[in-house]
Amino acid sequence: MESFDVIVIGAGVIGSSVAYHLVKKGLDVALIEKGGIAAGTSSRCDAVALICDKKPGIDTEIGYASIQLFKQLAQELSVDFEFSSRGSLYVCETERELEIAQGYVADQVRDGYDMRMVDPHELLDIEPYLAPDLAGGIWTEADSSMNPYKLCYAFVEEGKKLGLKVFDYHAVSEIQRDVQGKIERVVTDRGTFKTRKIVNCAGVWSPKIAGMVGIEIPIVPRKGIVLITEKTSKQITRQKVHEFGYMLSKFEDIHFKRNVSELVEKHNVAFTIEPTDAHNFLVGGHRAFKGFDIRSEIDVMQAIAERALRFLPVLRDLNCIRAYAGVRPWVPDHLPIVSEVEEVPGFFIASGHEGDGISMSPITGKMVAQLITGEPTDFNIDKLNFSRYKKSNAV
Amino acid sequence: MTNKETVICRCEDITMREIQETVERFQCSSREVKLRTRAGMGSCGGRTCRGMVDKLVEQLGGPPISNEIALSYRPPVRPVSFGVLGGEEK
Repeated sequence: MESFDVIVIGAGVIGSSVAYHLVKKGLDVALIEKGGIAAGTSSRCDAVALICDKKPGIDTEIGYASIQLFKQLAQELSVDFEFSSRGSLYVCETERELEIAQGYVADQVRDGYDMRMVDPHELLDIEPYLAPDLAGGIWTEADSSMNPYKLCYAFVEEGKKLGLKVFDYHAVSEIQRDVQGKIERVVTDRGTFKTRKIVNCAGVWSPKIAGMVGIEIPIVPRKGIVLITEKTSKQITRQKVHEFGYMLSKFEDIHFKRNVSELVEKHNVAFTIEPTDAHNFLVGGHRAFKGFDIRSEIDVMQAIAERALRFLPVLRDLNCIRAYAGVRPWVPDHLPIVSEVEEVPGFFIASGHEGDGISMSPITGKMVAQLITGEPTDFNIDKLNFSRYKKSNAV
Repeated sequence: MTNKETVICRCEDITMREIQETVERFQCSSREVKLRTRAGMGSCGGRTCRGMVDKLVEQLGGPPISNEIALSYRPPVRPVSFGVLGGEEK
């Protein structure tokens, strides 16, 4: 039976990064995945690492550090994952939105981040195709983009050079523990592996893995649909552009009324667009709780197109060639779980990043490697500890 | 078929050689071939090449066990303008 220092379960972006950072520490690591590399959420998502979509505080701090790590990784990894620091632009439709945006920017600037308000005139200088009647926006210098599934391939291929063993198309069916309750073996449909440490990086599927050691994780799949434009030589936008109302589709505690149709409201659609290296644009965004259903519903596609036209009328004559959907690993407090589980020694969780998995993958991988080797983590991550859910249950 | 320069995906201009090299190098499924080469990601949505990519991967021995052998179908059936989709034009 093969034996490893650590077994990472799930080869999406988080598992790929965790596995890479662990082999870099000189550990014997296996990456076990029920499908192929990046077969789940990490190939059904958008392609950015942002700070502007995060709440002030630890969320933004870690997000910013992660973007800095991406810059190093772009040099370090031999597979090109199309990383680019283009910045991003939030657009506000109304004066009311602008007011809330100003408060948000003030908080982020106070914490030292390079964000600034942009007036309607400058908005059109930055993005000439935007609707001319918008109230203003926010420019965020640090925000970046990449190709998410190539990033997974990049982590895995670099990891393999350092001895990482990849077992794709291996579905984990059981986790065995010794008499003291410590992790002992991982059983898959194609073989059993010995280990003392497991990192559960299975994203929306991580509750199932945790169930194998009797732990309940409050992760729920939150769906998103993306539309893809045909290739065009027209520079529809130069960087990620999204409406500030996106914040209200993501966070339950940000409230203001948008002037949108019933269809857009009903499907919780907020406009976003991103350029890609292939010269197609990705148009979103959408958030809904629909279980694991990843069909692209026509009414949601219509709502996304309708909302996109409000901000970029130029899209009118451009074709939508494809739609896809994925499910984000949502947690109630919008912070990922990155910790060991007290009750099950040797069982670690790195999951629950919702729509920030790509963004947060470098820093998450780095900090899990630090946790496992007993080094201090780059950030105080008490807030990301799994025990926070136990405490709230006790109340 | 022996001509390696035969174009398999016309929308993204991907040749048989590129597909063959990708399968040989990464021992991957058709879905991974699609993501790595962009074959099937163009404006026809894989309508022209999907079957050929699946067939080539199968012939070249792809991964031994795969639950995603065949490439998926994604809407819309034919390209549709954002104007029509967004309800501005009929």
